[in-house]
Amino acid sequence: MVELKENPAVKILTSWRVIILILFLLASYVAISPKFGETGLQISDVKYNSSAQINGLPTNVKLQAVNDQLVTSLPEFNDKTSNIKQGDLVRVETNKGTFVFKAGTFENAPDLGFTVKKIPKSNLQQGLDLVGGVRVLLKPEGELTQQQFADVVDITTKRLNVFGLKEINVRQVSDLEGNRFLLVEMAGTTKGEAVNLISQQGKFESKIGNESVFGGPDIKQVSRSSQEGAGIQTCNEAQGSGWLCRFSFPVTISIESAKRHAAITGALDTQLVGNEQYLSKKLDLYLDGELTDSLYISSSLKGLETTTFTIQGSGTGNSKQEAFTDALANMKKLQTILITGSLPVKLDIVKTDVISPALGKEFLRTTIIALIVAVIAVGLILAVRYRRAEIAIPIMLTSLSEILIIFGIAALIKQSIDLAAIAGILATVGTGVDAQLVITDEVLAGGQQAAYNWKEKLKRSFFIIMGSYSTVIAAMIPLLLIGAGLLKGFAIVTIIGATIGVFVTRPAYARIIEVLLSK
Amino acid sequence: MEGQPKSSFLEPLKQVYETKYKLLMFITIGLLIFSLGVLAYQKATTGEFIQKDVSLKGGLMVQLQTDRQFDTEQLAGQISKELGVTANVKSLSALAGQPLGYTIELEKTNSKTALAAIEKITGVPSSTYTVEESSSTLSESFFRSVVKSIVIAFVFMSAMVFLYFKLPFRSFAVILAGFSDLIETIALMQIFGIKLSTGGVAALLMLIGYSVDADILLSARGLKQQHTSTMDAIYSSIKTGLTMQITAVAALAVLYIATPAAMLKQISIILIIGLCVGMLNAWIQNAGLLRIYLDWRKEHGRA
Repeated sequence: MVELKENPAVKILTSWRVIILILFLLASYVAISPKFGETGLQISDVKYNSSAQINGLPTNVKLQAVNDQLVTSLPEFNDKTSNIKQGDLVRVETNKGTFVFKAGTFENAPDLGFTVKKIPKSNLQQGLDLVGGVRVLLKPEGELTQQQFADVVDITTKRLNVFGLKEINVRQVSDLEGNRFLLVEMAGTTKGEAVNLISQQGKFESKIGNESVFGGPDIKQVSRSSQEGAGIQTCNEAQGSGWLCRFSFPVTISIESAKRHAAITGALDTQLVGNEQYLSKKLDLYLDGELTDSLYISSSLKGLETTTFTIQGSGTGNSKQEAFTDALANMKKLQTILITGSLPVKLDIVKTDVISPALGKEFLRTTIIALIVAVIAVGLILAVRYRRAEIAIPIMLTSLSEILIIFGIAALIKQSIDLAAIAGILATVGTGVDAQLVITDEVLAGGQQAAYNWKEKLKRSFFIIMGSYSTVIAAMIPLLLIGAGLLKGFAIVTIIGATIGVFVTRPAYARIIEVLLSK
Repeated sequence: MEGQPKSSFLEPLKQVYETKYKLLMFITIGLLIFSLGVLAYQKATTGEFIQKDVSLKGGLMVQLQTDRQFDTEQLAGQISKELGVTANVKSLSALAGQPLGYTIELEKTNSKTALAAIEKITGVPSSTYTVEESSSTLSESFFRSVVKSIVIAFVFMSAMVFLYFKLPFRSFAVILAGFSDLIETIALMQIFGIKLSTGGVAALLMLIGYSVDADILLSARGLKQQHTSTMDAIYSSIKTGLTMQITAVAALAVLYIATPAAMLKQISIILIIGLCVGMLNAWIQNAGLLRIYLDWRKEHGRA
């Protein structure tokens, strides 16, 4: 028994400080839950107001089968769903139950109302600058109440959702000067139109002369499929230069608006334009106070209480194709705005970042290589300095555990790992190695002061370590608050790493080194 | 400490270090004064203490990935001519200098026309670009909060040091070292033409907390007097502290060379500069002040 107690491995593993470290490592592993070799798909996004959403299809659940056919990969999914038509019943089996709903339509194609993606390899989220995407920072014009700001977040999320974007993150952020911003992150897309869509306040109004007929809130339903009459109607070569394409789509308006329309048009004269009879005044469409289109009103509508209207607009371009695409984009934007309603204020874009996914991948790849080489370089320096494996190896292992625990906590609090966070990890591992050096050197400094016992030595090193810990934390706190949260990743990771280092990994390291060197 | 430097070639250096420490301190004081001069000159000539990149000044930054080779000067010239604003082009390289593409910085301009112009000149489709566009109002308010946060961080750090050592003179020496590290790093950035970006701000704040580590170590060891002599304490601190600084510089240098990401490049270079000036400030200035203080304490019989 005595021999067993003297065994360094037993001494290390029975120390409560080492046990705590091991518990932290296990917990981090669970939090990250790396899924080696995991295949399959999960529901990544369910469209707002779709049949899938109404019938309760949740996101982030594992997709098992569609219409009783097993689905495990993206090509398989596309293959098995390609023959689903609008109105068909879709039966989706997931690990959280089975859901049945109707397929809808989007941009004239059958639409399931949900999207899938490969199940991620772990719970760690990668930041936008590593996966690519669009980040937009907007500042509201004028003051908003908390409720209004919540509305802005809500409407913007819905707009992007209706527009067909997935993996969006919309939230309110603020800076040190008390300015509040709307931060919109859209992963995996570089679509410019989306940026345009968010900044539009979206106040829609239709007028005949000076009288308002119906506004955005009066619109009860917006038709979006070609079956319902939405689409590009005409394309003509415009006079002078370029092409012009016109789109139109029907909307249903409230009874009150229909009555208003009847009263206003009832008082108008008719006139002949070309071969057709029209009313003497046009229906003017305004978006955010800007006249977007003026439509002739057929004389047959005079005094009529109609709830169905056709909204029109146009797009231009140098070629027919360009004009067509532009008109289609404008139609989609207008439909989205009409469906989701207007924002309480106008938002100004103050910062736009578009990150190419290819470059992000390259950044991630080279940075991982750099980190590995950096760790090796540190190991070599330690090997040269101490010439003892029992010092260099524990230091390296402690640093690696720190990285693992940082990742674990990041996965737990859903802090995504972006470039700034990687820099933060490097910085904390750097300070961590420093602290371990302090401990090691205090412990090694035996010779002249043999009277000092271990406790005293470790107390002294922790005095130094706590000193540098508190200054690092002090410096990081302001970083949490500035720049609309763009550097938050760095600050949070650094604070987590430094704290874990001081309270978990370093005490364990101290025990390990104490056992290894006190022979 | 068994491991006092033994090599004979270090002996003359040690001689100077031990006897001429007050003289040596003029180097660091001179460096600080020089750095303050650089910042003053910068302010006088450009109106700002720090040169900022588009992320803190407002403007457009475009990164494009391409195999094609361009002369950066020529490309900058072409783009400026086309758009009528100053353009700055740098090449972007991955590991081992493998070309990856280019970074183009433009002052305030319309992003749509700028992207179209860049596409026309380089032939790289603009849909593949990484684009960072900041309005000047946001950048200005951001920069104001950056300055504020640096001041706050510095005050916090100083307060921590004070609470820690409770000795005004020693605390002052550590804080002075932190201040010198920060000012000298910013001054060297101006000399090397490194324009501060958002990521660089994180590095400067980190530096405030990080660069004083060696000074805290030195002060703690010097004051606790577990060593037989002051010089012993200093040498033992140098041994630990220099290893700390060298490992950090080595790791950061690897990152600086290997990563094509501008943010990581800037963070690493700022920390490298800061750690290097930190070595001078810790082992010459702070060690000198420590010796002066300990001598004074001995003379006044409060050993």
